[in-house]
Amino acid sequence: MALASAPTERAFAERRERDWTELDTLVRLVQNRGAKALSADAVHRLPPLYRDACGDLSRAQAARYSAPLVDYLQSLTAQAHIVLYGAGVVKPAKSAREPSWMVAFPLAVRRHKTAMFLAAALFFVPFFLGLFLTLERPELAFRVVPESMLRPLTDAYQQGFADGRGSSDDTLMAGFYVNNNVGIALRCFALGIFGGLGSAYTLVQNGLFTGAVVGYVGSQGAGLNIFTFIVGHSTFELGAIVIAGGAGLAMGWSVIAPGQRTRTASLQHVAKDVVVIVCGAAVMLFVAALVEGFWSSSSVPTPIKIVVGSLNFVIILAYLCLAGRDHGATKEPAR
Amino acid sequence: MLVRGMSHNVEALETDVAIETPEHIVFRYRVAGPARRSLAYLLDLTICYTVLFVLGVVLVLAAGSGSFGEDMSSLAKAGTGVLLVLLFFVQWVYFVVVESVWGRSPGKSALGLRVLTTEGRPITFSHAALRNLLRAADALPIAYLLGIAFMAGSKRFQRIGDLVAGTMVVVSDTRTVAEPIRLWPPASPQELAFLPLHVALDHDERLALELFLRRRGRLGPHREHELARMVAPAFQKRFDLPAQDPVRLLALLYDRAQNAGREEAPPSSRAAGPAAHGKTEVRSWR
Repeated sequence: MALASAPTERAFAERRERDWTELDTLVRLVQNRGAKALSADAVHRLPPLYRDACGDLSRAQAARYSAPLVDYLQSLTAQAHIVLYGAGVVKPAKSAREPSWMVAFPLAVRRHKTAMFLAAALFFVPFFLGLFLTLERPELAFRVVPESMLRPLTDAYQQGFADGRGSSDDTLMAGFYVNNNVGIALRCFALGIFGGLGSAYTLVQNGLFTGAVVGYVGSQGAGLNIFTFIVGHSTFELGAIVIAGGAGLAMGWSVIAPGQRTRTASLQHVAKDVVVIVCGAAVMLFVAALVEGFWSSSSVPTPIKIVVGSLNFVIILAYLCLAGRDHGATKEPAR
Repeated sequence: MLVRGMSHNVEALETDVAIETPEHIVFRYRVAGPARRSLAYLLDLTICYTVLFVLGVVLVLAAGSGSFGEDMSSLAKAGTGVLLVLLFFVQWVYFVVVESVWGRSPGKSALGLRVLTTEGRPITFSHAALRNLLRAADALPIAYLLGIAFMAGSKRFQRIGDLVAGTMVVVSDTRTVAEPIRLWPPASPQELAFLPLHVALDHDERLALELFLRRRGRLGPHREHELARMVAPAFQKRFDLPAQDPVRLLALLYDRAQNAGREEAPPSSRAAGPAAHGKTEVRSWR
């Protein structure tokens, strides 16, 4: 029997406890203060201490020591394992092929072109439908947007932006846009997990809503004003909603048609691209909120706003379509 | 034997996840269930909204104490804007940031929980972002019902966000070495005389005795006696022992099973006489 040659639990624990305590102290130090807190000596001590603890765990299991001791060693080695193999300690050298975030975002978007075009259609078809229908028959807008919300909005746009807004109002509105719009886009993405249905619904609903508002305000004779207002940030804002929705659709499709993978594996595979896309979209929306809060409502003359807005559109589109072309990663299929 | 064979084939209904490391050591992580995780979540919510609430109160007080009507309202407006941004951070950013930096939120930390990938490695930013953005789906239709339903169907208690990100929440145990169980008072010569040299207990029996002996001090003598009496006769019969105090009997058996034949064993686990002692040595050679 193997038991015969093993020491008793007490003797074993007494002999090894000093090393365990030392390992535990080092592990806690890294957990609390980061790997940089380790001295050069400690860095050299950590791996052998960890390997010894691993050996002790095997020995304790083989010698059938009591459960608390085995549990203790399990948890000690597990924590040390997290620290030693943790992302925070050992950063793998960045490979030359791995794109930076700035390039990874448009690359990931282009890898899911189909989902993006579908999302754009799901947003812009209802948008233009809402826009033209309400331009023809303004009272239709009340079916989508409550009248109590539309009337004050229209009044505001009819006044124009000649005197701008106070900076405190700007801050308030920017805060509102961050909370509301970024929230909508992120939810639009997350609900895509249900086969893309949640994303599709959010896209259609927001497209129709936005179209109806713009159309109604336009029908009341403030068309130029609202156009001036939205031209600056709409590329960021609508673009990001479409992109987030497209990411949701891609995620949903990976559940519906997982191909050779299991559904979970297929989801996790697409998730690598999707998380990059959503983070990029969130940054775009953040920018949109700032522009919408501080620039769109300012008293800058209309022609300048239109020129800047158009430039934004061209630059964003060029960035999404062209950035990282020479990277070649787009040719690698995502699934 | 048959029973044991079966228990190897049939997967046990356990909340453990085994992970093998490059050192060929297998860890078992205990996966955290919905109750613990809900508590941690509530704690995080309390932390976040307390901060928001305090800031809101400060804002109201500051706005109220201004003497000029115009300034007052503009400060309130700017402050509300900032609060709205903070609200967004609480809803969408807080968990992503704290989990990608520390691998656990303050609430999880308080309940001894940690987020790991399903391979047992610490999570990175993209894991944290995915699992927390998908909270929006888990929280449907109300109070995370969907998330809990998915947890119930998952072997690792994963909600939708965990499934997509490939993460799980584990209990990282408190770390103190438990004292080994000691036979006290040490076995008397009479007791040693009738104890068999080799007490073979299987894993479950050893674990049961161990749990019982560890709880001894807290049970109270009557309950202790009552519990011990349920199993002691079976052991008595198996090892052909005379009747005696059941609690003491279990302690003796456990001590013998655990320590007999080991190096540096306490005197209680050695055999009674010199003749028997010789036998122990022979056994250790086998």
